[in-house]
Amino acid sequence: MTSLLTAPAHRLAALEAAARVPGGEQHILAALEDTAPSVRERAIRLAARYVEPAVLGELVADGENAVRRNAGLSALERQGPYAVPHLVAVLDRDDPELLLFALQSLSRIGFGSAGLAILPLLSHPDPNVAQAAIEAVGKLRVREAVPALCGLLQRDLWIQLAAIAALGEIGHPAAVAPLMAFVPDSVLAEPAVQALRRIAAPESLEPLLPLLLTVRERALRDPLLLAVAVVIELHPDPEGPASGVARDMEANGGDLVVYLGQLLTAVPEDGDAEEAESLLRAAATLVAATGLAELHPVLLARLSADPVARWIEGLLARFPERLAPRLHALLTHADPDVRCGALRVGSFGPGDLPLLVEHLSDPRLAVRTAACLALGRMGLDPVAPLLLERLRRGEPPEQAAAAQGLARLSPEALRELDGCLEPGMAEPVVVEALAVLTRTTVPALEPRVLQLAESPSAAVRLAALRAAARFTAAKAEVVLLRALADRHQPIQTEALELLVRRGGDRAVTMLVAMLGTADSLRFHVIRALGHCRAPSAASRLRSLYPECGPLEQLQIVWSLLRIAPPWLSEFLLLRLVDQDLDMRRAAAQGLSEVACFDHLPVLLAMAEDPDWDIRNSAARGLGRLGGAEARTALLTLARDVESVVAATARAALELPTRDASPSAV
Amino acid sequence: MTSFQPADLKLLGDLIQERFGLTFEGVRQDILGSRLRPRLRELRLDSPRAYYEYLRFHPRGDAEFDRLPALITNNETYFFRETRQFEILIEHVLPERRPAAPSRPLRLLSAGCSSGEEPYSLAIALHDAGLPPAARSWEIDACDLNPERIARAREALYDETSLRACDPESRRRYFSVEGGRFRLKDRYRVGVRFFQSNLLAPGFALDRPYDVILCRNLLIYFGDAAFDRLIGLFASALVPGGYLFLGHSESLFDRDTELLPVVVGGSVVYRKTAKP
Ligand SMILES: C[S@@+](CC[C@H](N)C(=O)[O-])C[C@H]1O[C@@H](n2cnc3c(N)ncnc32)[C@H](O)[C@@H]1O
Repeated sequence: MTSLLTAPAHRLAALEAAARVPGGEQHILAALEDTAPSVRERAIRLAARYVEPAVLGELVADGENAVRRNAGLSALERQGPYAVPHLVAVLDRDDPELLLFALQSLSRIGFGSAGLAILPLLSHPDPNVAQAAIEAVGKLRVREAVPALCGLLQRDLWIQLAAIAALGEIGHPAAVAPLMAFVPDSVLAEPAVQALRRIAAPESLEPLLPLLLTVRERALRDPLLLAVAVVIELHPDPEGPASGVARDMEANGGDLVVYLGQLLTAVPEDGDAEEAESLLRAAATLVAATGLAELHPVLLARLSADPVARWIEGLLARFPERLAPRLHALLTHADPDVRCGALRVGSFGPGDLPLLVEHLSDPRLAVRTAACLALGRMGLDPVAPLLLERLRRGEPPEQAAAAQGLARLSPEALRELDGCLEPGMAEPVVVEALAVLTRTTVPALEPRVLQLAESPSAAVRLAALRAAARFTAAKAEVVLLRALADRHQPIQTEALELLVRRGGDRAVTMLVAMLGTADSLRFHVIRALGHCRAPSAASRLRSLYPECGPLEQLQIVWSLLRIAPPWLSEFLLLRLVDQDLDMRRAAAQGLSEVACFDHLPVLLAMAEDPDWDIRNSAARGLGRLGGAEARTALLTLARDVESVVAATARAALELPTRDASPSAV
Repeated sequence: MTSFQPADLKLLGDLIQERFGLTFEGVRQDILGSRLRPRLRELRLDSPRAYYEYLRFHPRGDAEFDRLPALITNNETYFFRETRQFEILIEHVLPERRPAAPSRPLRLLSAGCSSGEEPYSLAIALHDAGLPPAARSWEIDACDLNPERIARAREALYDETSLRACDPESRRRYFSVEGGRFRLKDRYRVGVRFFQSNLLAPGFALDRPYDVILCRNLLIYFGDAAFDRLIGLFASALVPGGYLFLGHSESLFDRDTELLPVVVGGSVVYRKTAKP
């Protein structure tokens, strides 16, 4: 077979080799114009890392060669904060095209501190430059630009549009009133509403709500509704303003009700699914907040019929007062979906018991299941027999719902659960009954649970173990420890997790003893000891290290990192010079989490490592340490050839600066 | 639900790209994360990094690599997808290629064939053009990375979605109904050979020359280096003058290769330069 390496692959390799040696810059710059995209793409990354912003700036200034200009621009953008001072300096130049590029690059880099330098350009005589400056302050969310932007709202159309969008992005409430001036009777009404939606300031709720009654064209009504919904979501107390409009809606909102009804029943089609989903949520929010009675059945039916509409539960729970007065009528509604929805969202008291019980024999499974859940939510012991009956004889969803409800009752009420755990009971009943006991401890049932932990059925054993883990007695611990040798691997690992969650010295001692056996469980044992954060296991893990294979060795590092013994950083420093790259990576990550000021030189060396993951850890560690030297290194990492590293470094640079003195660490 | 660290996803994504060519960079990183989350939970691993280490070092790592394609590949396909290409093949490419190799069957490859809809569509088109495989006039090879798809292809039993571009007449002619599903009639299955393989496995080579290769809707999932390697592989596997068909959103524009774009029947296909 001939070689698979095509010419671009050769050139790529040559570029890679040449880039890092002196004089490599010329090679990189030439490769920016290569015919193959893979070579160009790599050259851009290398240029970002090894070519100074001033040189890249010259490529950008060269209006003749579009390929070089674009490549230079991409490289500058990849340099991120490192290129910012250079780009800011360009803002003083006269060439409008250059200004445009600088503004666009600055806004894409997104380094907020550059924002103030842009303010003078907001009213630049060249409209393109002014527009780019407006967009840039929007992207960079420069709050100081708000007054100037509000001033621009009276200029010509393109500037107005850009200013409106920028105000939306900045999100300052001072923009609410000037933006409201465009709604509803201006060509700019829609963008203004979009901006108000982004700002989502509470003070916009009152002026926006009544507009829903008067504006009828979908082109503006849809965005208005979306804006209102977001404002309601973020409003600390939306019920006050919503009440006022609720009365108007009942009185003369027929058309609005029809509109909302359509949105609540819409079936999303492929093309507009996302749009329809947002409008559905917005309509639901408005109905829930205003308590629009006519549409409650529609909303509840949607909740029951649409498997992905569970969020409606949470929405209605936010406004319980709105639903409560109508609950009874909704529970007896002719449509089973409405009954089901009402059972799912209502909060009930002892007086409602007879009505709820009736629903336990509804012909529809979904209604019966919802009734079990509703009974359970009441948390009243007297309902125990009803739920137990459903647990024994219901269909699987009812059984699960009954179990969920039972788990909220007192241990005394749950003693009757014993009947469901007797020999001869169907396996699903036993498993669900045990599930109840993983949520509530019933001391009286302990012997039965421990006995079931020996059941021949793996499903029962697993459920019994989970329930047994709640008992504090030594016997339960023995059962869990014994399960570590279960013939089913999933049960072994579950037992391990349960022991870890219980904590306790005995389990740790047992786990440490298990380290002696090199079987497939040992990896999980090492991991479990980490999760227990068991200091007493640390030195045993260290001494085990040389005997293990690579996977266990790595796991030892991760576990020690959780346990954090006093000698951890020494241990990690040794691993950092390991032969194996993955071990070095693990050690580097560990050091990034625990390094103190003494380790600064190590982190600086890591920042120069050929491996990106180690450089990434360096960026995190340096960000933690802070200080001038760390910042300088981070600025270089912020233009790393690997985007992940650059992003980590940029995030680290944005961390609040700390004092670099050793005592600050 | 905790979100995964981008560096952890990159570590895993790089390993996957190296093995299979599939890239999960940028926004696709999140797709990788959500596709693998259930598997990680099953293995009780906390992070993509832990999964990476499992793949590389666990005794069952190789087995895990084998099941990975089923978790991360997009296998979307259907019969007569981009049907114009089949017409071009019959009307323009065959008349040109057949005289070039009169003494042997024409050889066609469907690379990244998923559950077989594409190679079977080819077989049907050839049948309908009066070329049954019995005459030994053609052979179709079809391969895919995902073993579960290859098994389905061999079974040739399809759901409605695979037939979404078939009119009632073609449904009747090419399929028989079996328990609410559609079984491709035997005569269209003859002459199509399936094999599971990773086109990017180190040292992988196609073991015979092809007159036509279809590789549609696969390169869009590939990173640049894998893209170039695969095109190199096809270039060396095609006979001089042989054709490569790509999906409608894929192209060799701006790539350095001996496969040159030609417009045939109003569409762009790629042809290997004729000199041997
Ligand atoms: C979206 S399907 C396209 C199917 C068909 N060609 C079509 O256009 O309808 C892409 C297929 O490529 C396969 N694939 C991905 N990477 C591959 C690789 N490295 N080697 C072979 N097949 C691969 C996937 O398993 C998947 O079935």
